[in-house]
Amino acid sequence: MRKVLVALFALGLAFALAQRYFAEEELKRVAAGGKAYAEVFANQRPDQALCSLHRNRLPADLLPQFLEEQRALIKYPASGKLMGDWRKGGAIFNNLQKANCFSCHFGSPVHLGGDVGPSLEKYGLKRGQSEAVQRYTYEVIYNSWAYFPCTVMYRFGAQGLLTPEEIADVVAYLLDPESDFNTKPAVGSR
Amino acid sequence: MDPREEAKRQKELLLQTAGILPTELVVAQGEELFNRKGPSGKTMAECDFGLGKGVLEGAAARLPRYFLDTNRVEDLDSRILTCMTRVQGFKPEQIKRSEVVAIAFYIASKSTGHRIQVRLLFPEERELYALGEKLFYARTGARDVGCATCHVTYVGRRAGVLPYADVLGKDKSWTHWPAYRYSNDQIWTMQDRIRACYGNIAHPQPALYSQPILALELFLAYHANGALVEEWPAFVR
Repeated sequence: MRKVLVALFALGLAFALAQRYFAEEELKRVAAGGKAYAEVFANQRPDQALCSLHRNRLPADLLPQFLEEQRALIKYPASGKLMGDWRKGGAIFNNLQKANCFSCHFGSPVHLGGDVGPSLEKYGLKRGQSEAVQRYTYEVIYNSWAYFPCTVMYRFGAQGLLTPEEIADVVAYLLDPESDFNTKPAVGSR
Repeated sequence: MDPREEAKRQKELLLQTAGILPTELVVAQGEELFNRKGPSGKTMAECDFGLGKGVLEGAAARLPRYFLDTNRVEDLDSRILTCMTRVQGFKPEQIKRSEVVAIAFYIASKSTGHRIQVRLLFPEERELYALGEKLFYARTGARDVGCATCHVTYVGRRAGVLPYADVLGKDKSWTHWPAYRYSNDQIWTMQDRIRACYGNIAHPQPALYSQPILALELFLAYHANGALVEEWPAFVR
């Protein structure tokens, strides 16, 4: 019995350690960078620690649990509607300070997009507006790590950068056939 | 257009119209400050930048490094600060950042044509390097950001105007600073550059001269070992 307890304790300890990325000594050095800087590192989340530890490529055996935990973070608008107001969504999509989507994704009729993420040109016209497409789009924006573990794309909902309603607005901006995103040409398109 | 080619073109243009480059002006200003006597009556020629008292030729290409007299790893900026306070007798609050940068431009100019030679010899150097590596790969903050996520994974891809530089690899970004940035008329050392990187991705910035900046610098410099310093101070977009 005692051996089992010791083994369990060791396992628990190993797990707790595996979740840490920075050692105490390192955090002390980081603290010299100033309060705001240090806090960000001291408050690193376990999922961020895992991505850091594995340099954004999680080993296969960690994936099922990781994906499950990320999925569990996703919340939906109280109304249940995954497509909101595309005009509001456009303002969010095309704002550098807000969601800054256009910096990485091509397809915006307002700004020239980048190529860090896949092109979203005429996203709604290519994919339609089925419930499955709405849900997928909403969930990727809410928590990209639930689909692409450790990707660079912000976890807008999971990290509180956008509310569920704002995310639904962005979904509408991408999917609604009436949206500027689908009716106007993308900046830079040929 | 390739950003490096564009920078070269802009530099030529500026040289033709103004007759002198902003980098040259700052270097001249830095030289004056270097030879200015501090409260102790000493100039900066009394300081050791790693190769002996007053030796500047190639010194910046060997920084950051551990210094016995301060028991710390110092880069060019920090070593200038040490010189001004310990040797020249300035009080820390008397030291202007703009002066440190100008002096850094002057001292760095003496390393043009040299190759980066940074070592991990002392325990403090090894520890700081290890911290720099961790900081570089860390994902933190509300945006889950970190240096490597773009500068390793998305090298060559574009988010905004410029493609992400391969800062650990072929771009040898360590050798691009200190530099004059013509697009914003800024005079920056690598410390400023690192702080701006964090700022651009809405992450709190590490304080100037602080250990996390030095750790990242040592990590970057070590990865640039052997790289030729084409021109310090550089002229970048």
